Order: sequence, then structure tokens, then C-alpha cells
Amino acid sequence: MIEMNSNYKMFERKIVPYLDGSLSSQEVSEFEAFVMTHPDFEQQIKNKQQEIQLIKQMIPVAVFSKETKESIESEMHASIFNLIKEEPKGLFDSVRIRWEEWRNR
Amino acid sequence: MKRKELHSLLSPLSEKLYRFAYTLIPDDLQAEQLVIDSFNAFLLRERKKLMAREVDLVSKNGSQILRRQYFKGILQHMLEIGVRRSIQLSEQIKVSRPQEYVPYYSLEPKVRFVMSLRYDAQFSVEEIEEIVQMPRYEVIEKIHNGRFLLLSDLNRGVNV
Repeated sequence: MIEMNSNYKMFERKIVPYLDGSLSSQEVSEFEAFVMTHPDFEQQIKNKQQEIQLIKQMIPVAVFSKETKESIESEMHASIFNLIKEEPKGLFDSVRIRWEEWRNR
Repeated sequence: MKRKELHSLLSPLSEKLYRFAYTLIPDDLQAEQLVIDSFNAFLLRERKKLMAREVDLVSKNGSQILRRQYFKGILQHMLEIGVRRSIQLSEQIKVSRPQEYVPYYSLEPKVRFVMSLRYDAQFSVEEIEEIVQMPRYEVIEKIHNGRFLLLSDLNRGVNV
């Protein structure tokens, strides 16, 4: 009985790490095997899952407006063309690079 | 990799990056600037590797893996720049933070970032270790503290 209780407590402490994905693969297998043999344990996992759902709702989701999207993407584009130099592989490549650079001025 | 390929690989990340920047600094313009600065810092550090890389963008799986890898690289810079900026702007953040997210913005910037990595973007603990450059026990501690503080706040709200 004592052994059963200590086992139960041990796996109880592992619910959050299990849901967090911070258990090792061996621990995950042990945990899942324990849950299979203790159906009442599933309720506790469900409670923790609800808790995690609540936490997710407390994390802000920024509104990504069309203007912000356009502004960030055009800055990304400019940064790539300004900060990165392409090495031409032959004459045609060199013409392509010069053409792209001229277009992105 | 050509610049055009790099652009098509990285531009779909803009929304996700913005979400993360907003968790550090809840101000539209500041968050936008943080995305751009982190992106530039990443490009400057990685440019040689980026250009030397041959990519097959036709393979959807291959480009997704590469995109995720670069996403993590940009987030690394965002954390470094963003935490510093978030501390400098802490007074402004107290005013600009959305009222429904006050408990979240009361957390330390690094804890906020780790919580978003875990619960918003669903990164594994191993991936978070890599992004935030912290040992595993510190990552787990930050997740635990963040969760504890948010839930305590929720319980306080219920009991009042």
C-alpha cells in the first residue's frame, strides 16, 4: 500500500513535465505505462491540461495588421539585399545580380 | 543560396516573429523595430553560412526544416536585444501593456519569452534550451515559475 502511494505521488509529480515534454523518452514510456494501469489517474492529467489551457489564454496574441506585415516584409527584403552579397557564377549570373541590385535600389 | 531564395524562405516568418517581439514589448512600433533589428543581427552573423548553403526549396520538408532552424536563430537575437530593450522601456510598457494581459507582462521579460516559446509556439524544452542558451534546469525553472505566477494571479482574481 505504501509502495503504491509513493508510486502514485511520484507519477503525480511527473504530470506537468510529461505535458511540458521535459521527460526523457524512457520516463515518458514509464509514465504512459502507469497511466494505462491507473485509469483514475487520467482525471488528474485532464486537470493539468485545463490548467495549461488557462495559461495559454493568459499569453497575448498580437494583432498582425496588413500594414505591419507589409512594413516588416519590405524591411526584410531590403536587409537581405543590402547585407548579403551574392558571388556571381559566370557572366549571366553576374548580369542577374546587377539587375536585381538595380531593381532593389 | 540566392538572395531571392532566402527572402522566400524567411518572409513567412514575419508574423510569428512579430508575436514574439510583442511578448517582450507590447507596442506596435517597438515590436516591429525589434523584429527588424533581430533579423538584421541574424543576417550579419550568419551571412557567410547562408550564402554558402545550397538549398532545395522544391522539397517542402527540407525548406520547412531550414526555416525552423533560421527562425530559432532569429529568436536567439530577439531575446538578447529584446530583453535589454524591454528593461529600458519598462515604464512605457506599464502604460502600453494590454489590460487583459497585465499578469503576463508583470513577469520578467526572459520568463515571458520562455513561456511564449513553450505554450504559444510549442517548442520542446530542448529547442528552448538552444534558443535561450540556458541549461535545461534553468529553462524548466523559468517555465515552472511563469506557470506558478500566472496561476497564482488567476487564483487571487477568483478569491477577490
